[in-house]
Amino acid sequence: MSTAASDTTMSYIRKHYFATPLNSAISVLLALFTLWVLWSLFDWAVLKAIWGKGLNEECRAHEHGACWSFVATRWRIVLFGLYPFEEQWRSALACLVMLAVAVLSCMPAFWSAKRLPILWVLGFATFFVLMRGGVFGLTEVTERDWGGLSLTVFIFAAVCLLGMPLAIIFALLRRSELPWIAKTMALVIDVIRSLPLLSIMFTFAIVLPFVLPDWAIGDKLYRVIVGYAIFFACYQAEIIRGGMQALLMGQEEAAKALGMGYWHRIGYIILPQAFRNALPPTINQFVITFKETSLVTIIGFFDILASGRAAAGTADWSFATIEMYLFVGFLFFIFVFCLSRYGAYLERRMAVGSR
Amino acid sequence: MSENAISIRSMNKYYGGFHALKNIDFDVSKGEKVVICGPSGSGKSTLIRCINRLEEHQSGTIEVNGTPLDDNVDNIDEIRREAGMVFQNFNLFPHMTILENCTLAPTLVRKQSRDEAEENAMTYLERVKIPEQAHKYPGELSGGQQQRVAIARALCMAPEIMLFDEPTSALDPEMISEVLDVMVGLAQEGMTMVCVTHEMGFARQVADRVVFMDDGEIIEQAPPDQFFDNPQNERTKTFLSLIVGHQ
Repeated sequence: MSTAASDTTMSYIRKHYFATPLNSAISVLLALFTLWVLWSLFDWAVLKAIWGKGLNEECRAHEHGACWSFVATRWRIVLFGLYPFEEQWRSALACLVMLAVAVLSCMPAFWSAKRLPILWVLGFATFFVLMRGGVFGLTEVTERDWGGLSLTVFIFAAVCLLGMPLAIIFALLRRSELPWIAKTMALVIDVIRSLPLLSIMFTFAIVLPFVLPDWAIGDKLYRVIVGYAIFFACYQAEIIRGGMQALLMGQEEAAKALGMGYWHRIGYIILPQAFRNALPPTINQFVITFKETSLVTIIGFFDILASGRAAAGTADWSFATIEMYLFVGFLFFIFVFCLSRYGAYLERRMAVGSR
Repeated sequence: MSENAISIRSMNKYYGGFHALKNIDFDVSKGEKVVICGPSGSGKSTLIRCINRLEEHQSGTIEVNGTPLDDNVDNIDEIRREAGMVFQNFNLFPHMTILENCTLAPTLVRKQSRDEAEENAMTYLERVKIPEQAHKYPGELSGGQQQRVAIARALCMAPEIMLFDEPTSALDPEMISEVLDVMVGLAQEGMTMVCVTHEMGFARQVADRVVFMDDGEIIEQAPPDQFFDNPQNERTKTFLSLIVGHQ
């Protein structure tokens, strides 16, 4: 049996990689190149690497390996940014609360119109109290000093949570039966989509305070989040609209014929199916949104990328930029990879309902 | 007037410049079974879809169970609750199980409790002979089964009138009779039915009246015996000869 199996493996390899002399040569060269790249990486990142805390002098002297000592020594700056050192447990806890809320809301048991909002309101409240303090004997830390991973997670969660309902409203207005509403919404979406995210963030962070009355200004962080959420909503609205257009014409008619009103039709028939249809691009939009949170650096926030740069910004660690970017990249990777896998799980799960 | 389930007076319907329904007068009394037939494009589906405002008419009046069909949303909803509809393409909700399809509108619109709605739904699913499919999704059922579910779903709203828009046209031939059987049963129980169909055997068996439409007009209407055996209008005769020629 095993010879038969290895025979087929061998013939498979021969057929696909060694069919002609040229084919064989390319296969061998690429295999060697891949091995060389993997070996060099392994050599650099593991064999010649320097581990352990505070070894920057050793790292500087020893140029051929990775300096994980940087991560071991400076990880708190990367993760927490300017957040006061002795209060950083609060930032970590807040981050964990947010992650727990995100994980819980990914579970089907929480998918109800009552549980999800309660969960998120509680989650945001806990996050806010932990981060900002000023109550329950916690020292006050203003938004200006928030930073690192918890800031990135906070911006992402707030943008999605604010942006998603907005996107649904935009999508519904966009397909309104009244032409002037539909056309106005289409224009708004097209205008905002044609602006760069950066200029929108700048406008909300710096220009808006001159225009708004004092009571409506709020902290710069929240203005940026609102601007980003509107930007997100415009893209997501078009994704949802695409999902709606893929719906069979008869679905809405059937719901009408059963006497269901507009909001019932939207809530039970149109949106659930539209989201199923639009799931892959929606996950895509989440991924892009998460990664683009880094843009807030430019208006002076210490998101995780900025705090990473700060951690490698001092003279004694300035050589460790590669390690810093790898570390931050790894954190991004974990988030985005989990998001993608969750998207794939959702697709499999929802496929059951529409076989 | 009040004994009419449906009462339509000089109703006109336009699609842009196209005059789809011309000056229609059409009554259905309570308990009556009416079959509407006619060549494609004759306006028969449009007529039945005007009755529950899936299409809007431009002039004339429509009354269903005494409720005038106008721009008043409450009236439209009232009429839609009282008139169940079965579509050519079933239009079941693919993201819900059969049971959920049947209980959604009764719980949302009729405010039934979940238990009550499910019990009710199972009764109707038994009546259309597929209670064992209750927890499957529409995509797992054959066309004939799906259409029977669609009938059960409409019945769960306890409508006074049932509208059928070519209920067997999208079915494979071997599945037509299972759907027609359910419709015959419904007719025998005294349901008021308006049915757009080309199933002339069904028309002969259950209809009190057959209506022939062509080019947006009602050309001729008569009890089935008279309609099939002694049609008056030339267009009716042509149409019947074409249909019978294939049967």
